[in-house]
Amino acid sequence: MSAKLIMKQVTKTYGDGAATMSVLNKLNLEVKGGEFVAVLGPSGSGKSTFLSIAGALLTPTSGEVAIDGESLKDKSKGELTRLRLEKIGFMFQSAQLLPYLKVEEQLHYVAKLAKLDAKESRERASYLLKRLGIWERRDHYPEKLSGGEKQRVAIARAWMNKPAILFADEPTASLDYKRGREVVSMIADEVKQEGKAAVMVTHDERMLEWCDRVLRLQDGVLIDM
Amino acid sequence: MFLALREMRHAKARYMLILVIMLLVSFLVLFVTGLAKGLANANISAVENMPAGYFAVQEDAGHIFRRSMLGEQELKVARSVAGEEGATPLSLQMSTITADAGAAGDKGLKADVTFFAVDMNGLLAPSGVKGERITNETKGQVIADEKLERLGVKIGSFITDQSTGKSFQIAGFVKNSSFSHTPVVYMNPQDWLEFRQGTAGGQGAAASFNVIALHITAEQAAELSGKLNHAEVITRQQAVSSIPGYSEEQGSLMMMIVFLFVIAAFVLAVFFYVITIQKTSQFGILKAMGTKMSYLGWSVVGQVMILSAGSLAVSLLLVLGMNMALPASMPFRLEPLTIVGTSLLFIGMSLLGSLVSVIRVAKVDALEAIGRANA
Repeated sequence: MSAKLIMKQVTKTYGDGAATMSVLNKLNLEVKGGEFVAVLGPSGSGKSTFLSIAGALLTPTSGEVAIDGESLKDKSKGELTRLRLEKIGFMFQSAQLLPYLKVEEQLHYVAKLAKLDAKESRERASYLLKRLGIWERRDHYPEKLSGGEKQRVAIARAWMNKPAILFADEPTASLDYKRGREVVSMIADEVKQEGKAAVMVTHDERMLEWCDRVLRLQDGVLIDM
Repeated sequence: MFLALREMRHAKARYMLILVIMLLVSFLVLFVTGLAKGLANANISAVENMPAGYFAVQEDAGHIFRRSMLGEQELKVARSVAGEEGATPLSLQMSTITADAGAAGDKGLKADVTFFAVDMNGLLAPSGVKGERITNETKGQVIADEKLERLGVKIGSFITDQSTGKSFQIAGFVKNSSFSHTPVVYMNPQDWLEFRQGTAGGQGAAASFNVIALHITAEQAAELSGKLNHAEVITRQQAVSSIPGYSEEQGSLMMMIVFLFVIAAFVLAVFFYVITIQKTSQFGILKAMGTKMSYLGWSVVGQVMILSAGSLAVSLLLVLGMNMALPASMPFRLEPLTIVGTSLLFIGMSLLGSLVSVIRVAKVDALEAIGRANA
């Protein structure tokens, strides 16, 4: 299968002159469809920077990033926003659902942004919610959901627009061990079923069972484990 | 609007509170505006309703009608430019009158009025008279503002000028004819002459009057200005704002209205700014997920529009309802044009207030979404 994410010689430095600090140093990564990659690293190792650059939120100082075969180079802010909407699914720490949208509306909102028609959006939402076992909770506000349920909604939201790749930022951080494992296995299921790619950044080494590849971010590069 | 509406639905209490504040402010705006217009009307409607756009007044009179004194000489010059019909003299005199007991209840009535002497065939002849019209030939008959009728004076009854003792019979009433908050009493020039001769210093009144009302164009006004030696030509607006008390009265009300508009803008600005700051990380998430900045900006503007338009609609109903309940003697006046103008300005000021928040939303970086533990 084709590569969903390619990062070539990506470098990111902060500061200028004598005080420069390289967070990423000629980092290379390729993630194919159907592949679930975990990136480990202690806090401060540049995981957030790595994820921001891979997720088209931040431009690297040098090097190239391509998502689903599309290079991010020379794209305007608006084009990057569009690309994030269509090609990338995000999962954030502690789910980050919108407090004023019901579960189903969380999914309809991203579908609306991507200009999916209402019928298609409803079908897709019910398919995802049923598969993730939260269909019965579709009319609830996030405040009524447990942490695990919230992350399941976040998974559904991330997959809603059929992105090429999913980026998960510490998806298990706010969950206990059992719930955390559940969530990770669900991400893995989706990746296999839909032939998509996923990159999960975590510091929790107990969650790696379903990952195809585990990498460690160290000194600005990724090392196979 | 997907987000804007659902957010308001979810935080009803919060948005209700701000709606009530906006409602009170917009109600006050409309009410004070109506009061200002009503007072203006009660004050100077006689001048405001004149078909004359310009007035010639004596040069050193400071635009004040009562201080001005012009003669045949000026009238001749004015008529040479404006034509016979376009220039007509106006004399006025403020006075106190009494109405006989039979006409105005048991105790009789004392009231301040302003006598206007006008050519009954000319530009300033009172129109829309209820009762009988008077002509230049009638003797001892006058037409008064409706306010006198509300005080109990009836058609056919007599009013007596306190200083001269002259009596006039009320022939009819006209609407909206006030000068300096007093009802106007119209008489013909012939009666005026007799009236003035009765007062001290009435000598030489034969060929003099206070001002000349002019129905002319701006060019003609400029031309006339050049020709008149001891008089100047002023617009009706200049004349109105020089009526003693008018500028002060309107000025203080205007200041209140301006402050209310500014308060409305600031209340909204602060409210939305605080909410926006509170939601910074939410906006970061939304942007990371691929929401365009313009979408989020319009979402804020949409909420402001809903709040200000909603509160305006309710306060309009309240003001109109109150207007019907108010007694006729209360000077309150809201015309459709004023309502539309005020409403647009109010919504405009609200949008101005929301601008700070929109800028704030624009500045939120999608990067905020990554590496954050708390919502």
